[in-house]
Amino acid sequence: MNNPYEVLGVSETASDEEIKAAYRKLAKKYHPDNYTDSPLADVAEQKMKEINEAYDMINQMRQKGKGTGSTGSSSYQGSSNSQFYNVRLYIQRNMIDQAEQILDSTPMGNRTAEWFYLKGMCAYRRGWSEQAFNNFTTACNMDPNNSEYRAALNNMQNQRAYNYGGYNQPNMQNGGMGCSCCDICAGMMCADCLCDCCRAGC
Amino acid sequence: MFGYLQIQKSELLVREYEAYKSVYCGLCKQMGKDYSFLTRLSLSYDCTFYAMLLMSVSKSCTGFRDGHCTFNPLKKCKFAKCESDCYSKASAFSVISVFYKLRDDLVDGKFFRKLLTRLILPFFSHWRKKAANRYPDIDKLAAEMMNMQAEAEKDEPPSIDKSAHPTAYMLAGLFALEAENETDKRVFYEFGYHLGRWIYLIDAADDIEKDKKSNNFNPFISDKENYDSERISAILNQSLARAYDAYNLIDIKDFRGILDNMLLLGFPSVQNRVTDKLNGGNNE
Repeated sequence: MNNPYEVLGVSETASDEEIKAAYRKLAKKYHPDNYTDSPLADVAEQKMKEINEAYDMINQMRQKGKGTGSTGSSSYQGSSNSQFYNVRLYIQRNMIDQAEQILDSTPMGNRTAEWFYLKGMCAYRRGWSEQAFNNFTTACNMDPNNSEYRAALNNMQNQRAYNYGGYNQPNMQNGGMGCSCCDICAGMMCADCLCDCCRAGC
Repeated sequence: MFGYLQIQKSELLVREYEAYKSVYCGLCKQMGKDYSFLTRLSLSYDCTFYAMLLMSVSKSCTGFRDGHCTFNPLKKCKFAKCESDCYSKASAFSVISVFYKLRDDLVDGKFFRKLLTRLILPFFSHWRKKAANRYPDIDKLAAEMMNMQAEAEKDEPPSIDKSAHPTAYMLAGLFALEAENETDKRVFYEFGYHLGRWIYLIDAADDIEKDKKSNNFNPFISDKENYDSERISAILNQSLARAYDAYNLIDIKDFRGILDNMLLLGFPSVQNRVTDKLNGGNNE
């Protein structure tokens, strides 16, 4: 529907390499890993689909017929034998109030590691990150071998260590080029290019 | 309102910096036109960011024109032209948030500050009415936020999430006004929520020392929990990370270089300035 070149943010005269590079950059940006547990996971997934389609279309138009090897979706899935099956369904549908209602009416004695995990997930979806972090930590302490809980906690720990430009260290502020992370350089370069075409009319 | 949404000037291209300045000047001019000379003084970086974001997603910037600064007629400057009401909206938001801030100061400010506030509040009350007439949604959000804030501060022990919620909620609602469909709305909401949360929390972190002395409410001052600079950094990083993830899903049409610069460099360096100060305080 949309112009696939516009979707990838490249000009129609761009070389195959440029298109590939633009595609990769966007694919990295919208990668499901960046949106694990995020309430916007489906939006990112949609964007990913769009760029995959655009990339495929360009390749087809250029008669290369190459596929993208599109990334599988990593949508959030709960096991159906879970005690809190309904809660998981609600969370999946972003119906956080209903999910929390069930959780809150669970008697103290039944508050298992999974309960804390799901409680944390509700808080996370609301943006209440501190509560989420505490609940995930509790869940992991109660059941250290569960990979699902561990993954949620790891995801948060990554976000907490983010500080984009590697500016975390006090004395690096004027180091300017925070190149400890290649993403930043690539990101800024990309931004630069985009800026060129976007602001042309400005 | 707080002035934490800054650019990292050293990393901007010259023409990007000029574009940024011209939006700032354009907004200043509009504030003078819509309200008064005095409101111009309350112009903040945060509102400039808001105006810039509005202009970017609506693609309403139509070019630049030359002019002179009102405060210094000898100084030449450029103004970014805008074909929709981005400037007016940002001016209204600025006036409304200043009004509520002043009214809040009247309750828990110091004597001298109270006196000053009492003097200028009637003016802002008048301008706020004007702004609220034109943008009732914005005024409603700000009023709701103030009520929620008062409630949240009564909580004992203070909760980070709860006390940051009102500001986060307000910015989320404010940004969500720009959405054209349900999906966009969720993206804008999430972006606003975490950015607002970040603004509230960085302001709280910035004020720890001051609030300790004056015994004011601050979510980072707690008998039970120990918030050192490392932990505060982690909390702030988290908000910024989620704001950035949402930002990436927004269709940014203009000024991408400048907005990227702010999110990736400007905000983190402001944050580091604040957390470094905390570190310094601990060592002494």
